[in-house]
Amino acid sequence: MLTLKQEKKRFREFLEALSDSYELIAPVKRELVKFDAIKNINDIHFEKNSYFPVKEFFFKKREVLFTFNGNRILEPKFENKERVFFGIRKCDLNAIKHQDIVFMQGANDPYYIAERERSFLLGYHCNEAPSEYCFCGSLELEDYFDMMFYDKGDHMLVEIGSEKGMALYKKFSGFFEKSTRLIAQHEKKIPGADRLKVKDIGPLYDNPDWKKGVDICLSCGACTALCPTCYCFDIHDEVKMSNPGSGERVREWSSCQLPEFSRVAGNHVFRNEREQRFKHRIYHQLDYFKEKYGIQMCVGCGRCIEGCPTRIDFVQIINEMKEGEKR
Amino acid sequence: MEKLLQVRNPDNKLKVGFYGITGCAGCLLSVIFNEDELLDLIKVVDLKAFPFVKEVNVDESFDYIFVEGLVADEDDLEVLQRLRKNSKFLVALGACSCTGCVPAYRQFTLKENYEHLLYRKREEIKDLQPTPVDDHVRADYYIPGCPPDKKEILNFLKGIAIGKEPKPYESPVCIECRKNGNQCLLDLGKPCLGPITAGGCNSVCINGGFECWGCRGPTKDMNLPLMIKMLRDRGFDDAFIEARMRTFVGLKMPIVEEFMKSKEAGGKLDTKFYGKKEYFE
Ligand code: SF4
Ligand code: SF4
Ligand code: SF4
Ligand code: SF4
Ligand code: SF4
Repeated sequence: MLTLKQEKKRFREFLEALSDSYELIAPVKRELVKFDAIKNINDIHFEKNSYFPVKEFFFKKREVLFTFNGNRILEPKFENKERVFFGIRKCDLNAIKHQDIVFMQGANDPYYIAERERSFLLGYHCNEAPSEYCFCGSLELEDYFDMMFYDKGDHMLVEIGSEKGMALYKKFSGFFEKSTRLIAQHEKKIPGADRLKVKDIGPLYDNPDWKKGVDICLSCGACTALCPTCYCFDIHDEVKMSNPGSGERVREWSSCQLPEFSRVAGNHVFRNEREQRFKHRIYHQLDYFKEKYGIQMCVGCGRCIEGCPTRIDFVQIINEMKEGEKR
Repeated sequence: MEKLLQVRNPDNKLKVGFYGITGCAGCLLSVIFNEDELLDLIKVVDLKAFPFVKEVNVDESFDYIFVEGLVADEDDLEVLQRLRKNSKFLVALGACSCTGCVPAYRQFTLKENYEHLLYRKREEIKDLQPTPVDDHVRADYYIPGCPPDKKEILNFLKGIAIGKEPKPYESPVCIECRKNGNQCLLDLGKPCLGPITAGGCNSVCINGGFECWGCRGPTKDMNLPLMIKMLRDRGFDDAFIEARMRTFVGLKMPIVEEFMKSKEAGGKLDTKFYGKKEYFE
């Protein structure tokens, strides 16, 4: 992998130059940290990972899939203006990878693909876990970025991870120096982020300890809305009053934590019990996705714990489970 | 398309009426706030009666009647019973109509405490204990909220106009709140009822910095004991919690009584209290 070096001053100038040529999107601190378009690079927040995931820029909270009038269908125009994301952490880069698997390789979703294709992903490596809830180190994460920035105090080491990243580097090569030093594997490990001790939760499905989480779950769906990998949605039509035969077909985020999510015709709800829903989320993250795509979906960002109104720490619950126990 | 257009055939249009009994007229205003699309409404439905906006109101045989407010005196009851008789479907519009809401507070106080506040002399008013509409007649649909979301009313109308069964919004306010990127007010120590309240309001209160008071009523599977525990953990005493719960879910849902019971049980909470069944069906 091509590795480069940047003094901090040059790094700042590089960001300035980026924001002159592109829409630059990076974490900013408002009430909470979230990704947003950057006007002044001094606004970029480096300390904590964003509270809200970056997924909303690719898999939108609400998206008009097409408008219709009778049998005529009008597809939306896709935006193709290039934009640059800076400051995505390793967990979230891998979350994008997992959503890419679902939306690009699996479903060939044109809406998602358009947003992904116009985006450069520039990562920012965590020298240490920025939150007590992080556990990315317990999961099999990979290098998945266009560029990755490793903060080494007075300078940055930069890895180029894709053709897109290479193209961007070539355009701005004046801001970089060649580095003689490569990033060692151990430098990619993040201290303090390997809390989850159980590799395979399959055998734990009937463990009585799930109740510890279920009892203090509100089924509020905050966890899935904040999760960078959760990709469930609902589709409905919004028709015009002047002509109910015309309107928009809309896709919106939904959540497996809601009873209505698994409601089918005849009013049957597949996961009516809170326990079923609670376990479904954890099992989809750590088990079912792996069965289907060969990799766990969860990337260990810890948002679903930090953002849960009752701070349900499923990692701790799983760690404390004794194998073989049944209800 | 052909089929949809048929709905708009003048002979086939649904006959619709909007009425208010004791309420603040806020729900009816929410209907009117759809001004951009309101004129289109009359192309799709036959607006037989809407005393708030129409001079001539035909009061007979409706397909859908929307009723704002609750029954607070004998006149209300008479109007309500007449409307029920004259319509195929009755829609309880707004929190008062659905649950009792603020006007139902009267049930929790003595007459001496409010008598002197009445507009007219009391003798002229044949007051009844304030009660939501389905204490008296069958309600087929409920559009909750104080006031209801104007878009929801419109969607309901669009739905019935094209023959679609109206679907209630069942998910908690929290999910909309999170989508809106708000900071959770519970984390700031505010007594937000979002986790147990059915959304559909686009978390409008929290977007503006105020906690949810639960005006849209509880979700079907609310975890009430946990909600109460969370409020207690944040330092709210039982009197406060009871008052908050009573504000909007008021008379309709037995959760207030259940809550009282749970106190008698030494603060131990039973997990089995859910809203009155009919309200949800
Ligand atoms: S989960 Fe890992 S990569 Fe993500 S913020 Fe925490 S330490 Fe960084
Ligand atoms: S955020 Fe917490 S309380 Fe809400 S649904 Fe998720 S696990 Fe349950
Ligand atoms: S399940 Fe939780 S820890 Fe895992 S990726 Fe989603 S939000 Fe992060
Ligand atoms: S502020 Fe209220 S509605 Fe929003 S997430 Fe927190 S509890 Fe839910
Ligand atoms: S946030 Fe709560 S109180 Fe406010 S409108 Fe919605 S349901 Fe009602």
